[in-house]
Order: sequence, then structure tokens, then C-alpha cells
Amino acid sequence: MPETRSWREIPQQVGSRAMSGEGRRRVAMGAMRAVMGFFAIGLVSWGAWEMSAVLRDKPDSLLDAAKSDRVRSLVLITDGVLDKNWLAKTLSIPADATLIGLDLSELHSRLMADSQVASAAIDRNFPDKLTVRISERSPVARMMAQAGGDPPSMLLVSRDGVAFSGTGFDPAMVATLPWIDGVRLSRSGKAFGPVDGMKSVSDLLATAKLEAEELYRTWQVISLGRLATDGEIEVFTRDGMKVVFGAREDFLRQIARLDLLVDSNTDPTRPIRTVNLALGPQVPVTYGIAAPTLAEPPVNTMGARSAQPVIAFPSSSSIHIDVKREL
Amino acid sequence: MSSKTTFIGAVEIGTSKVTALVGEYTGREIVIIGCGECSSRGVIKGSVVDYRAATECTHSALEIAEKDANERVDHVYLAQTGGHLEGFYNEASLNVKAADNMIEMDDIRTVCDLAKAKDLPLGRMVVHNIRRPFRVDGRLVPTSPENLVGQRLEVGYWTVHGQEQRLADNIHVIRGFNLEVRELVLSSLASGHMVTSMEERQNGVLAIDIGAGTTDYVLYRNGAPHTTGVVAVGGGHFTNDISIGLRLTEGQAEKLKVRFGRAVVQARDRNEKVWLDGNFAIGDRQFSRHAIESVTSARAWELLEVVRKKLGHAFSQETCAGGVVLTGGAAKLPAIAECAAKVFSAPARLGEAPSWVTENLRDPGYHTALGILYYGVSSLGDSGTATRRKGGFLRNVSRLFAST
Repeated sequence: MPETRSWREIPQQVGSRAMSGEGRRRVAMGAMRAVMGFFAIGLVSWGAWEMSAVLRDKPDSLLDAAKSDRVRSLVLITDGVLDKNWLAKTLSIPADATLIGLDLSELHSRLMADSQVASAAIDRNFPDKLTVRISERSPVARMMAQAGGDPPSMLLVSRDGVAFSGTGFDPAMVATLPWIDGVRLSRSGKAFGPVDGMKSVSDLLATAKLEAEELYRTWQVISLGRLATDGEIEVFTRDGMKVVFGAREDFLRQIARLDLLVDSNTDPTRPIRTVNLALGPQVPVTYGIAAPTLAEPPVNTMGARSAQPVIAFPSSSSIHIDVKREL
Repeated sequence: MSSKTTFIGAVEIGTSKVTALVGEYTGREIVIIGCGECSSRGVIKGSVVDYRAATECTHSALEIAEKDANERVDHVYLAQTGGHLEGFYNEASLNVKAADNMIEMDDIRTVCDLAKAKDLPLGRMVVHNIRRPFRVDGRLVPTSPENLVGQRLEVGYWTVHGQEQRLADNIHVIRGFNLEVRELVLSSLASGHMVTSMEERQNGVLAIDIGAGTTDYVLYRNGAPHTTGVVAVGGGHFTNDISIGLRLTEGQAEKLKVRFGRAVVQARDRNEKVWLDGNFAIGDRQFSRHAIESVTSARAWELLEVVRKKLGHAFSQETCAGGVVLTGGAAKLPAIAECAAKVFSAPARLGEAPSWVTENLRDPGYHTALGILYYGVSSLGDSGTATRRKGGFLRNVSRLFAST
């Protein structure tokens, strides 16, 4: 059978001389890609071979390499009053700890164990710096709590009702805070659960402080004993006056009436003993002769222990700590 | 989009222009995503005579098409035309081997090999082997005769062959762009596939593609190409005739042909004059409209007459109910269909691209390039396509090596 020749037998190879500039460019690009492909394959193969050799012969060397950078600097960025001593105590980072070896999740848990810290974020800044960024709770009141057989201790209460030990606050500022009474603290893990009704109390205190600071300064104890049942907040002043606020009424209006009453009472022999502002426009007022004073703050007895963690920090640490305040 | 995608380039190196299309072939359908065009240089009557000039314009068209498509072409289907292409018919028959006279695949393979086996003159190469329908004991079998019962199996092939050097020249023009020529497609088959319907091909139809330098034709019967041919005369000769007859430059003659040429003389008044430019500028001249129409109509008649004579008895009204379909750039000559109808004594019409072809590719000048893509892909089927997975790492690496 005769063999016929097909056009497919025509060789399709052409020399570069017969190519156009674009054709030569395509060939060059193809060759370059081929070389790069070979190079990439070789590089990956070499890396895989090296890795397998390391894993086979010295598997610990990879971990050793990760331990090489020691933490030399701690940076605290906060919007509150906590300082470097608190940070060092709370984190308790060993002096020889490496940055890569730190368990950030554990450190974050330690920070959040202090109820004064509302939120925290930790960043590694290679090669040797750890940055801690926290947001703190600020107190609006204080209270006495007794955990188990321990002596009573003072706790600060934030606007959202969280009670915390209060580290680093100015004692003079703390002394101006009114006491909270008539609440029952509950345990929430190692800390205390939030105080119920603190939002209303916070609103009342904030309004008083802003609109009638003179009155606010005389407030010594805020009782929440009747808040849940009657919707009333009782305020005891330093000069023996008891003021009842309605939690469902407008605090500004109530404080304005109280201010008017106090200002209008000019007779020092008839001090105001009680004022009930929870009844709307009708404000019952009683007068007395002598004003009792509260010598000791109320003590809240609860089967709770202190939430403040006590963590030792090695005295030989050479970690440098910076603190930056955010306003 | 399918995960397997090939970007196929369809290139037609014509006498007046080079057209390149880029088709995105997903294995099931092909979508045209790029088009490039460039005025042709170095090509006469479909054959490359100046390699450098032809290469430059072809590569320009390919570059434009690739930029338009924003993709790189993987391989090329190349249109093939020129006076060097010839065809002949050869058939073979055999007695079915099986005792129960059931035709087996082995019988089909043998008879096909016999029909295709014929010595070609030195320097000639096969471009296409176009199979005509099988016959089993004289009975027409349009598809495969496997498992049919019969004593005698016959098949015929229309073999198109061309001159080796000219085929190689065309291929090397594409290879100069560092692209592989995956398929050579006869221009007549490509354009005929686009402008005729399946029904017309079944009933018999003649498709004539009148280009600038050549006229390609294909006669379909029983749904398959029956005869193909190339006449080395095209629209450029119309221009040349006007140029000689009216003593004009080629550009002026082309202008007159486009504006006033007709395939059938319409002007009754022999004294009716037309302006060359019509702007009354210095050098603007008047010519007889009748003279222009006479020249173009005589050449059109002659061209179609040549085609009819080359077809001989293969074309008849009885076997070609579909009549004549005209396409190609020169088919835009007014009244060409009327002229063809007279020459072939059969209904004639201008070919139109299918409705799904976008507006910018509906010009008859694009029918061949479009047909290359669709005829090439449909003739290959799934097995003949090299597909690449977009983004496949190994495939990309192999492409890198292949491209070197």
C-alpha cells in the first residue's frame, strides 16, 4: 500500500533568524520561565531535603532556634492607672523566657483575671519586645466585702457593676467615693459577679456629681436594699439625712428638688432628716433636732475570697518595662 | 467556565488582509474572545512570496488578537488556499470478511486505508482527506457502517493536496511567532461551513468564497464535502481589469469598483458618467458607468463560469437543491448572486453568518476565519484537542518546556 505524505510531516522547527522580534521574545520568555521553573523546583526540593535532614538528625534544633530571643522589654499601654509593677506581677514572666516561647493566651488570662482590666491585647514585637495594651475600669463607688474568714476588705465598683480591688488609684480620690450597701455579691469564677442595679446608681451618681456637686460630696452611703423590690435608692449623707430617690423617675428632676429643699431650709435647729423624692411632685420631708453620723461603713459579709491574684515576679529580672498612658 | 480551556488562534493569511481570531475552547463550545486584522503584504494569490513582509503583518494581527483577548494563544488553526491546491477522488471497496456478513471495524479501517492510499507526485502533500459516505451493497450509509450486514463495502475520499514548499512557507510564518500549527483547514471548507446550513449541505449546495486573490469553492452533497477547488482569480483581478481598461492606478480602480462595480450590467445609458472622486478637485475625472459595470460583470461572469466548468458534472440542479451561496470580500459586489444564478442556472444567495455571530464579525471577510475555528474544532472532536487546565501547576510547567 503506498504511503502518502501529509502536511503534518513538515517540520515546524524554525531558526531564530526566521522569527520575528515578538516570536524571539516569546521564545526567550518561554526559556526564562523554563529556567525559573527548574530553579523553583530545585529550590523546593533542596528545602524539602534540608528540612527532612534536620527533622531526621536534629529535630530539637528547630525548637532551639525558636528559643533564641529572650524578652527584654515589656510595654504597657493603658487608659487607666495600672503600672509596670502591676504588669510584672500579673504576667510573672520568667527572666529567661523567650518571646516566641510565651503563651499569649495564658498571659491574656492572667491579665483578665484582674477585674480592673476591662479588655487586654498582647502583641509580640520581634525580636525581644512584648506590648500589652489594656483598657481599665474606673470606679464610681466602693463597698466593703468579707470573703470567708478573711477580714473585711474594700472593693471598688465600676459603672457596669463589676467589683474589683482597685490597684493604683489615688487614696484621696477613693475617699470621695460613696459606699454601696444593701447588695449581695455572687461569685463568678475567681472574681465577683456584677452588682445588680449599678447602672441606675451610676446614672444617679453621675447626674449628682455633674449637676449638684455640693450635695454629692455629702453622700456617704448608697443603699440598694429597696431597689429591686420598690425601685428606690436610698442615700445617706454625712450629716445624717436620708434621701430616697425613685429609680424610675428622672434623676435630674429629683436632684433639683432636693437641692431646692436643702437650700430653702435655713433653720439650723431643724435639720432635714428624711426626704422622699420617689413619690413624684409630692415630696414628704421630715425634720429633726440632731443628725446622726455613720462612723463605720457597712460591711458586706459574703462567703467570697479576694479576687486579687498574687503572683511572684523574680527579683533578678532584667526586663525593662515602659508604661504609656492613653487618654 | 470549565476547568479545561484551550485558547485557539484562527489565522487566515489572505491576499488583501490577514485575519486572526482567538477562540476560547472549553471542550464543549468555543467562544470568540479576540480579533485582530492587518493589511496583507508579501502574499500573492494566497501564497507567501515575501516571507519577511508576510511574517510582519501576520504577527501584527496575532498580537492584536491576543491583546484583544487578553490571553495567549496555545496553538493555531491555519487557513489554506492558493492555486497550488488540487484535489482528486479515489475510492476503494472490499468484500466483508465475516461469515455472517456483518461489517466490523476492521473492515471499515481497511477500506478507508485503501481509499486513501494513492501515490502523490513528488513534492506534493496531503492537506485533507475528505471522506464521502460509505456504501454497503450500493446503499448509502452516511454514518458508520459498523454492525450493518452486507457483502460489499465501498468508500471514497476526496483528497486535497498541495505543494510542500508553499505549505511549509505558511506554517513557518506562524512558527515565527513561536506558535504551533495544529491544523490546516481549507478556506473553502471553513467558509462553506459557516454560510451553509446542515439541511442545505444534506440537499446539496455549492459555497463559493471569492477572496481578493483566489476563489475557493466547495460542493456539498449528502451532508459532506463532495468536491473542493481553488481558482487563482479573485476580487483583485476585478480591480486590475478596471485599472487596465480605464487606465487608472490600482487605488483609483479599487475605489471605482467598490462604488460603481456590479456583477450584472444595470446602466442603460452608455453616456452616463460618474466621477472618480466626486469632490470636483483637480485631477478628478469622469468615467462611463456602463464601462465600469461591463468590466466587472464580464470578470464576475468569467470567474463563476470557470468554477462551473471545474465542477463539471458534479454540479447539477438535481443534486444541488440548495443552489449557490456566495461569500468572501468580493462577494459584496452588487448583483453577484444574480450573476451566479444565471451562470449556474440555480438559485443563488449571499452567505450570512449564523445569528449567534456578533455584529462586528458578520462581514463576509470574516467567514473564513470564523469557519476555521468551528470547522477545526468540530472535525477534531474531543480527542483531537490538547487542553490545559487554567492554573494547573504541572500543566503550566509542561507548557513552559513545550514553548521552548
